[in-house]
Amino acid sequence: MLFQVNFKSGKPVYLQLVDQVRAAVAAGGLRDGETLPGIRPLAVDIRVNRNTVAKAYAELERQGVIETVGGKGCFIRATASPLKKDARRRLLAESIDAAVVHAHHLQIGKAEFLRLSEERFDALEQKRARAATV
Amino acid sequence: MTPLSDDNPAILIRNLVHRYRRADAVDNLSLTVPAGRCYGLFGRNGAGKTTTIKCLLHLLRPTGGEIKVFGLDPARDEVAVKARIGYVPDQVAFYPWMTVRQTLDYCASFRRRWNDETEATLLAEFRLDAAARTSHLSKGQRTQLALMLAICADPDVLILDEPTSGLDPIVRRELIQTVIGAYQDAEPDRRTVFVSTHLIAEFEGIIDEFTIIDRGREVLTLDADAARQQYQKVHARFASDPSGLDLRGLRVLRRHGRELEIMASGDASEILDRLKAYAPEALAAESLTLEEIFISALRPQETAA
Repeated sequence: MLFQVNFKSGKPVYLQLVDQVRAAVAAGGLRDGETLPGIRPLAVDIRVNRNTVAKAYAELERQGVIETVGGKGCFIRATASPLKKDARRRLLAESIDAAVVHAHHLQIGKAEFLRLSEERFDALEQKRARAATV
Repeated sequence: MTPLSDDNPAILIRNLVHRYRRADAVDNLSLTVPAGRCYGLFGRNGAGKTTTIKCLLHLLRPTGGEIKVFGLDPARDEVAVKARIGYVPDQVAFYPWMTVRQTLDYCASFRRRWNDETEATLLAEFRLDAAARTSHLSKGQRTQLALMLAICADPDVLILDEPTSGLDPIVRRELIQTVIGAYQDAEPDRRTVFVSTHLIAEFEGIIDEFTIIDRGREVLTLDADAARQQYQKVHARFASDPSGLDLRGLRVLRRHGRELEIMASGDASEILDRLKAYAPEALAAESLTLEEIFISALRPQETAA
């Protein structure tokens, strides 16, 4: 798992790490039993305080997303976590919320937003279909 | 004898005043550093950072106010306080005739504890030659050695005074990350870092909380995450020149043609709402970096007429 930290997002750094793991688990980028990097190497790698990483891992453990095995590291507990059911919807809802706000700023109404969403779905499907035939 | 209770904050400074002749170097400064945190003291050159640190170590006597390190008074319990501190001054000096090895052993002889494992790890990581004389070390290597001397004693507080100034940019970030990482690898809830600097970008991500001082006075104290949530930059672009815009009370950072950049130090959504009334083509907010927050905190308020 390669983490990205964005100091300009306004979101606390530890929450960025938590959300990235949850998103990766939900999207299949991290599978049950796979490990997360150790606290100190990750802190050095992404240039944050080790306490920030420790806080993120503690939160993930509290949420049941990972399990810490003493001396061995942190393991993904995808099957045991409630992630698969709700989380994917919730993660998508966050992106949609951001898009809705963005639409609002750009003075694009609900009807137009929904029409555009459908257009994008169709456009992506066509693209995939084209790619499949090549 | 005062008990060494760890309920006390690592560092407590209350109404500290230090006066050199007539000038106040530190003027009524208060701050609290909880144990286990990485705390930044940010200020320009001459803002009073070094004076504050020297008062903490009892290298200078405060003119007034109170200082406690883990609940102890550095003036009354000097030895007990110093035993818990690792300190790297802004100017490091070694005996030039000693080798790196001799310098490490010499400093270790004054400390109650010495972590040989940390020493070996860092010597290897820094690729420092133990047999080299300290007079032959580069500026970067001298800083590396000073940092090793401070953290190998496993202190409860690590006090760094401008640790990276004068070093090249690649060495700087690497060094800080390695040293603070190695130091806080054990007992992270207790081990505290107090670092003064004006090179703030290098500490983004490492600092949990900071105080900005100017002319000896506190300008701003904030948790780093909270600061980035609170201080944002709003960028707006309009279809035509927004000359009729009501920008009263807003702090305009930049303006060019149809584009506008506004500083939000509080609730960015209020500014977003105000700008939305003018139907912008594009509107977005992003957090300021700690360095931008620092610069903005020290710049006199300039609001649009």
